[in-house]
Amino acid sequence: MFKPRSEAARGYALSSPATAYVGFLVAAPLVILITYSFWTQTYVTLDKTPTLGNYRAALSDPLVHHLMLRSIWIAGAVTLATVVLAYPIAYFIAMKARRKTIWLLLITIPFWSSYLLRVFAWKLILGFNGVMNSALLGLGLIDEPLDFLLYNEFAVVLTLAHAWAPFAILPIYVSLQKIDPSLLEAATDLGNSPLQRFLRVTLPLTVPGIIAASLIIFVPTVGDYVTPALVGGSDGKMIANLIQVQFGAANNWPLGATLSLLAMMSVGFVAIVFVIAGRGLGGRIR
Amino acid sequence: MTEKNIIELKGVEKRYGSFLAASGIDLDLRQGEFFSLLGPSGCGKTTVLRMIAGFQEPTQGAILIDGQDMAGVPANNRPTNMVFQSYAIFPHLNVANNVAYGLRGRVPKAEIDARVTEALEMVELGGLHQRGANELSGGQRQRVALARALIMRPKVLLLDEPLSALDKKLREQMQFEMRNLQQSLGITFVMVTHDQYEAMTMSDRIGVMFDGRLEQVDTPATLYARPCNRAVASFIGEMNILPATVLEETGGMLSIEAAGFGRMRIERNVNATDRARDIIVGIRPEQLEIKADKPADYPATLKGKISNVAFYGENIHYHVAVENIDKPIAVSVPNYFHTVDFNRGDAVWLGLQVASVIDLGKERKSSQREKT
Repeated sequence: MFKPRSEAARGYALSSPATAYVGFLVAAPLVILITYSFWTQTYVTLDKTPTLGNYRAALSDPLVHHLMLRSIWIAGAVTLATVVLAYPIAYFIAMKARRKTIWLLLITIPFWSSYLLRVFAWKLILGFNGVMNSALLGLGLIDEPLDFLLYNEFAVVLTLAHAWAPFAILPIYVSLQKIDPSLLEAATDLGNSPLQRFLRVTLPLTVPGIIAASLIIFVPTVGDYVTPALVGGSDGKMIANLIQVQFGAANNWPLGATLSLLAMMSVGFVAIVFVIAGRGLGGRIR
Repeated sequence: MTEKNIIELKGVEKRYGSFLAASGIDLDLRQGEFFSLLGPSGCGKTTVLRMIAGFQEPTQGAILIDGQDMAGVPANNRPTNMVFQSYAIFPHLNVANNVAYGLRGRVPKAEIDARVTEALEMVELGGLHQRGANELSGGQRQRVALARALIMRPKVLLLDEPLSALDKKLREQMQFEMRNLQQSLGITFVMVTHDQYEAMTMSDRIGVMFDGRLEQVDTPATLYARPCNRAVASFIGEMNILPATVLEETGGMLSIEAAGFGRMRIERNVNATDRARDIIVGIRPEQLEIKADKPADYPATLKGKISNVAFYGENIHYHVAVENIDKPIAVSVPNYFHTVDFNRGDAVWLGLQVASVIDLGKERKSSQREKT
C-alpha cells in the first residue's frame, strides 16, 4: 500500500524522469563544456588552470568571426527561404484544401527517409553530372554543365530549406487554422480587397506561427554540421565544421568547447532580438 | 420612414446541391425602417442576410440595393455593413483601430480620428480608444462591432443575431438602445433573429421565415393579431389551436363550428390564404377568462380541469384539460392580486369573447422542404 504523500513529493516523483533526462543529457554536458572552455590544451595534456585564453583567442580570430557571421547569414537565409516557400503551402492547406489530413501527411512523407539520404539526393540533383545539369544539357539550354549549383552557400540554403519545410508549414498552418472565418468576412464587409484583407488581418494574426517556424529553423541551422560538410564545399563551411575540427583533427577540446558556447550565445541573442522584433511588427500592422 | 424601397429581393433562391436554403423570396424593404427576419434556426434567414451582404450569391432571382442590381458585386463593394453574430472584433487591434478599420486609406487621418471618437460616443464607449480587443466585455464587443459598421455610413446595416451572445438584462437594454440609435440615424436596419420578443420590440416590420420560405411580412401587431397560418401563429407568442368547420361564409365573416366551444361567427382572416371547409382557429391564452363557476356574460364557454400551473411572475399560466380536445388549453391570467387562484385538479370554466378567435385557414401539413 502507498502511504499518502505530500502534493510536492508526488509532483517531484512525476517529473523525475524528465528531470533526470534533462539533468544527464542537457545540464551535465553543458557544465562539462563550460568547464572545458576555461582549460587549456597543451599538446596531449590538459592544463586545468582556469583561464579566459580560449575566449580571447576565439574572439580575436578572423576565421571564427567569418564563420560565425556566415553561419548566422546562412541560417537567416534558410529561415527566410523556408518561411516564404512554406507560407503559401500552409495557406493552401488551411484555407482552400478539402482533405487537410492527406495534405499534411504528404508533407511529412520526406521524413520517412533519412536526412542523410535526402542530402545525397540533392547532391545527385545539383552535381556536375547531376539531374539538373543533364536535363538542361539535354534540352540544349546550356552547352556545358553549370558548376555553381553545388558546393556553395546556395546549395546549403536550398538543401536546408527543403529539409525544414514541414517545420515551417505546420506552425503556420496551425496559426492560419485558428483564425475565425468571420474576421475575414468582417474585413471584406468593411471594404477590403482579398489582398488588403490578407495584409491587414491574416498576416498579422499568423505572426506567432511565423515566429515559431523561424525559431524552429534558425536555431538548429546555425549549428548545422552535416549539410555544409556534404554540399557546402569550402564556400559553405559553417561554425559547426570548425568546432568539429577542434574536437577531431586539431584535438583542442577547450577551444572547441569555447566555440560551441560562443555559438550558443550568438544564437540566443539573435533569437531574442527576433522574437522582440516580431512582436513589435505584429502589433504595429493595422 | 419613407416609401422609397432601399432593398428589393425579387424571386431570390439559394440552393446548395439539392438543398433549398431559401426559395421564392420576394421582399421590399423601405428606407429607414427596422426590419427583422424571424424564424427558427435553419429556416434560411441568415442565408438571406448573407446574400444581401454579398457573402453568398443567389442561385436565382435578383437583389437590388437602392435601385442597383447587386449581381456580381462583391461584398467589399456593397453599400451595406454587417454586425456579425460573433462580433468578429479584430483581436490584434485596439478599440479605436477596430472602429477605424474600414476608413483607413480612404479618408484623411484627422477625419478618421474625429469619426472614431464620434462613433464611440454614439455607442457609449467614449474614451475606450486604447482598450485592447481582448479586454472587452460581451456588451462592449457588441458596441464596438456596431460602431465599426456604422462609421462606414452604410445605406443598410445588417445584423446577424446581434444580441444572442448577451445575457437577458443586457439584451433588453441593448434592444432599446439599438432601436433609438436606428431611429436617430435613419439608417435601414435588417436584423436576423430567432427571438420573437426581440423582433417584436425592435422592429417596424417582421418577416417570418420557415423552411426557406418567407411566410408573412407584417407589423408586429398584425403578425400577432392576424397570423397567416399555424406556424406563424405558434412562433409569435403562444396560441391555442382548435379544429373548426366552416358552415357558411358571408361578407367577410365565417360561421363556424369550433371544437368544444360550438357555433360562432368570426371574422375571416385576409392573411390566411389557404382555404378549405375544415380550418383551424387560434385563441391567444390571454384572451380566455378562467372562472370557478360558469360565466354568464361570455357567449362561448367550456368546462375543464386544471392540468398544470406555471407561475411567471407578471402572469400565471394555467393548462386546462378539456374533454374531446387533444391538447390542454393554455390560459394566461395577469397576476393582479398576487395569488394563484386555482390548483392542479380544480374544475374550472373557460369564457371566450368571439372577437378573439382567429381564423387560421386550412391546416397545412408539416411542410417538407422541396428537394429535387
